[in-house]
Parts: sequence; structure tokens; C-alpha cells
Amino acid sequence: MRAFRLAWISVVRQPARSGLGILGVAAVGALLFDMLLLSHGLVLSFRDLLNEGGFDARVLATDMVPFDGPRLAHASRLAAQIAALPEVAAVQQVRVVDAELAGASDPSGHEGLTHTAGMSGRDGATHDDRVQFVGNDMRVRPLWTVVEGRDVESAAAEPTVVVNRRLARALGASPGSRVALRGRCGDAADALPPVTFVVSGIADFPFDAATDNSAGGTIESAARLCGGEDVDRADMLLVRSRDEAGPGAAVAAIRRLRPDLHVVTNEQMVAQFSRVEFSYFREISSVLATVTLFFGFLLIAVLLTVSVNQHLGEIATLRAVGLSRGRVVSGILWESVLLVGTGGILAVPVGLVLSVWLDRILRGMPGIPSGLHFFVFEPRALGLYAVLLAVASIGAAAYPMRIVAALPIAGTLRREVVS
Amino acid sequence: MSAAVVEAREVSRVFPMRAGPVTALDGVSLRIDAGEYLGIVGPSGCGKSTLLHVLGCVDVPTRGTLRFQDRDVAGLPDGERSRLRLREIGFVFQRFFLLPMLTAWENVELPQAEAGASRAARRQRTAELLDYVGLAHRATHRPAELSGGEMQRVAIARALANQPRLLLADEPTGELDQATGDQIATLLDRLHADGTAVVVVTHDAAIAARAARLLRMRDGRIVEDSGR
Repeated sequence: MRAFRLAWISVVRQPARSGLGILGVAAVGALLFDMLLLSHGLVLSFRDLLNEGGFDARVLATDMVPFDGPRLAHASRLAAQIAALPEVAAVQQVRVVDAELAGASDPSGHEGLTHTAGMSGRDGATHDDRVQFVGNDMRVRPLWTVVEGRDVESAAAEPTVVVNRRLARALGASPGSRVALRGRCGDAADALPPVTFVVSGIADFPFDAATDNSAGGTIESAARLCGGEDVDRADMLLVRSRDEAGPGAAVAAIRRLRPDLHVVTNEQMVAQFSRVEFSYFREISSVLATVTLFFGFLLIAVLLTVSVNQHLGEIATLRAVGLSRGRVVSGILWESVLLVGTGGILAVPVGLVLSVWLDRILRGMPGIPSGLHFFVFEPRALGLYAVLLAVASIGAAAYPMRIVAALPIAGTLRREVVS
Repeated sequence: MSAAVVEAREVSRVFPMRAGPVTALDGVSLRIDAGEYLGIVGPSGCGKSTLLHVLGCVDVPTRGTLRFQDRDVAGLPDGERSRLRLREIGFVFQRFFLLPMLTAWENVELPQAEAGASRAARRQRTAELLDYVGLAHRATHRPAELSGGEMQRVAIARALANQPRLLLADEPTGELDQATGDQIATLLDRLHADGTAVVVVTHDAAIAARAARLLRMRDGRIVEDSGR
């Protein structure tokens, strides 16, 4: 009878003890797995989010976080110069303007524009009245994805916008509706006249948070919302490199062209966020992963140690009837591997379900883009999880294995009989 | 003169204790030949079990030599001693010490598997042994489902699994009632009759009386050997 079979029988035929151990490992394993998903998930998700629009580099006026720093001047000329570089396939200008709702109408327009300040029932701009207006160059692929109606038309008689689902739902808007927005740009915010847009469609915006109202239009519309001030300025240029050049070469070329600007690839931006903004999550997940791993280790170590101590007479007898020390010790190791392995396998689906739930809670925090996930499955996390569990199972078995290896056969038999 | 299975010469076993060393065996010399039936008696703490453990190679003497089939046991590494116990020695204990999660069949099969017997050979030998001890019908029962006498019979079958030359029994009837103890004693008689050397440590005069040779011990010494 191999040591594995003996361990298997021991696990299967002591269901209460094994069940407790396996459930305990499954619980701490699920938490450990989730912490591993969290430790890298935000970075992976952020990378996916940045890559989603098909742009692989960004041009900013300074090295400040996008939308927090100064705008790029003469954005259209700059975009044209960069687009002319052989390493660059396309350039998209992005300008984000804070606005508030000034009115809306249904598609028929019969009732005209109604004042909407107070969608939340109060006078003045409330959170629900605020709209994030994203302006970009409609000749290049826009930053949103239209899900109903048509995209924004640059040459339309009236300026058009797409709105996100939340805003459309709040306004009862559909393609053909009108919406009036007032820009909140600098000190002149209250004095700016509202601009009326025709809603051409409803769209998903990748960087939307769950509570965001978003609208998208041309970069000219964004400037118009600000009363014609700051014309031809952009918060950021998004760059798509040519396949044969790659983002690194494109960034190098842009830096040669405009060394005064801050140009980064998506990967560099991910690395920067990973180092600074996301380090909090990484540290938290590392600490929690270590703690849960330690709990799992303790659980199995205690379980096996108690079990070994309860069966010292039988173990000494096994040695007395001729089983080698290695065989008896490896039986303990196999038992640990079986308990931790079974619990660890069960922990994966439990951890995945738990991660979906936790992810939903975290993504509900204000300002978190709905496309961003905190827990992201990746094979690397599963591999690391398996390695950590293997180490824990071996570590947990170490002490009971030592007890068994050092067990004096005659002395133990004598003690067991006397006791 | 028949060949010696095991021979102890001037064997002593001293246990270091906090209050001072305790001498459990003090210069014991003993030879057990193939097919012998030896009883060891004496008051508690006189060194009977320690002698049995030394003879069975689960303990090593502090002084003196022990030769098992003419091999010096003291010089053998742990693995070799394990192999010796596995193939040549059978143990029966007062408290049975069967593995609780294994069935009677599996308890008997275990030493055979360790010795590398094929599955078919194990099956045949295990069936024979359970039949020999009268427990063929209890093969699938676990120790908790057996009576004390039945557990001891399974323990004897386990001890015989690899056809040992020497069977060592330490108070084999100590936890059994009179009638069940008699059954076990009869079983040991049969083993001896079948050619196995049997050494029984006992407090029970009736069991001791069945042995062809009787050793009486006191204070770690053999004070009487009916075989001399």
C-alpha cells in the first residue's frame, strides 16, 4: 500500500476531520486567490481600458495626470504634425469639459426645451445635473461606442451629441431629442450661455463611472460649450502607431518633434499608475494574501499535528511492523497535500464568485470607470496560487512530519500502553 | 542444535531520566532458536517489554550485542532494521494498535504491500491469514466494529503477514477476558506448532504455562531460564 493510498484512505475515511480541514482551506484559499487577483487585476484592467480605443500612446502638455494639467495649445495643428510622422497611423484630439444640464426635450420637440436643473428635485446644479462632455475629432475613431441611433455628425446643421445610457434614461432622451448644456469652464461658468444639441445616438463611454452622465461630441462643440474660449485646445492627443513601427518608435518620433511635451506609451502610463496610484491596492492585497496563507498553513499544521498526536501508537506500530521512516513521513505529507489540494481546488470557483461580488462593490465607488475591474483572472495568478498552496501544504506538514520522523518506536509503544 | 533466530549477549538498556539513569535491562544474555516457544514473566517494570523491544529491533541496546540471524543489529542503519522487522519479525501488542481507518483486510495487507508482494499474492495471503485467525467474515470491518478478541486476532494476522521467523507478543491477552484470552493463547500455540518462534511476555500464569521455555525476570535481569 503506497503512502499516497494510505493518506487517501485516511482522508476519505475520516470525513468529519477532512471535511473541516478542506472547508477551512477552501475559505482561506478563496481569499488568497482573490488577493492574488486583486494584486495585479487593477493594472491589467487599466491596461485593457487604455488599449480599448486602439490608441497606444498619449501626448500631454505636462507630466501631470491627464485632465489635471494644462491643455495643449494649437491642438489641431499639433495633431496634423504628429499624424504626418511615418511612425504614426492616427491621432485623436480629446477635450473634456464639465457641463450641466440646462434643458431637454422629447424627439418631437413639441414641448420645447424644459428646464431640467432639478432632475434630483432641487434648484441649482446637483450631481445628477452634471455632465461630462467629451469632445473629439470625428474624422478619427471616437472614444465611445454607439449602441443606439447614429454617431455624431460634424457637418450637421445643428450640433449633435451622443449621450450615455444613464443620461438618456434620466432625461427620457432618445435619438432626435434635444439637450441643452451649459459649460462650466473657469470663472465665467455662470455667465456662459447654454448650447442646444440634437441627440443623434446613445453610446457607451469606456471611462464612465457608474454615476456619470456623459455626452460626446466634436472638439469644436467642446470649445463652444466654453463660450468660444480656448479654441483649438485639447487635454490630450491619443496616438495610434503604425504596426510596423510600434508605440515606442512613435513616442520617440513625437519627442523628437516636440521635446517640450510629455509623451508616453500606454505601457509607460500603466507602469506609472502601477507604481504610484495602484500601489495601495497591491500592498493591501500582499498583506492580506500573506495573512490568509498563514491562516491556511496554521489550520493544516494544527489539524495534522493533532491527528498525528492522537495516533502515535498506531504510527509507532507501523514502524514496528516494518514500514520505513520515509514511508510513514511521506504519508503525512501526502495527507497534507490532499487536504490542501482539495480545499485549494474548491477555493478557485468560490474565489471567482467572491471576486465578482467584491468587484461589484468596489466598482460602485464614486469616480471609478465602469470598464475598470479590481479583480481580473489571469493564468499567472492561478499559477502563483498553486505554488503558494503547495508551499503551505509542505510547510504545514513539516512539524507533524518531524514528530513522526523522530518518533522513538519502543518509547512510544511503552507510553501508549501505560497511558 | 537448531539455528539461532536471535541472540543477545550481555545486553543492557539504560534510559536517561531527569532524576538519573534507569537500567531496564542489565547484562541480559539470551538465545532464541527457530521454532521455540518462550514465555517471559516477572513483575511490572522488571524489563520484560524492553527485552521484547530489543529482541524485535525496535530499540537498541545501550551495551552488549544483538545478532539476528547472525547479523549484528546494532550496526544496521534504520532502514535496514525496518526491513528486518518487516520480513523477519512479527509484533503483537496488548492494545492491538490496528490502524482505525483501515479494514481488517487492509490492516493485514499493509505489511505485505510494504514488502513488495504482488496484488495477487497479497490477496491470497490475506485471505489465508484471516481464515487462519477465524475472521474471514470480518474482512471488511474496521477495528471500531470488532470486539477486543477479534482485533487481537487481526493484529496476529498482521504480524504473520510476511511469514516472520519470530513472533513477539507483549501481553497479548492483557486487555481481553479469560475466554477470549484463551482463544488467543490457542492461536499462539498453533503458530508455534506451525514452526514460528514465539516469544510471549505475560502476567498470566496460564498463558506462560503454555510456553515450552520460561524466562523469569527481575530488576532487568533474567533470574530463571527453564531452558538452561
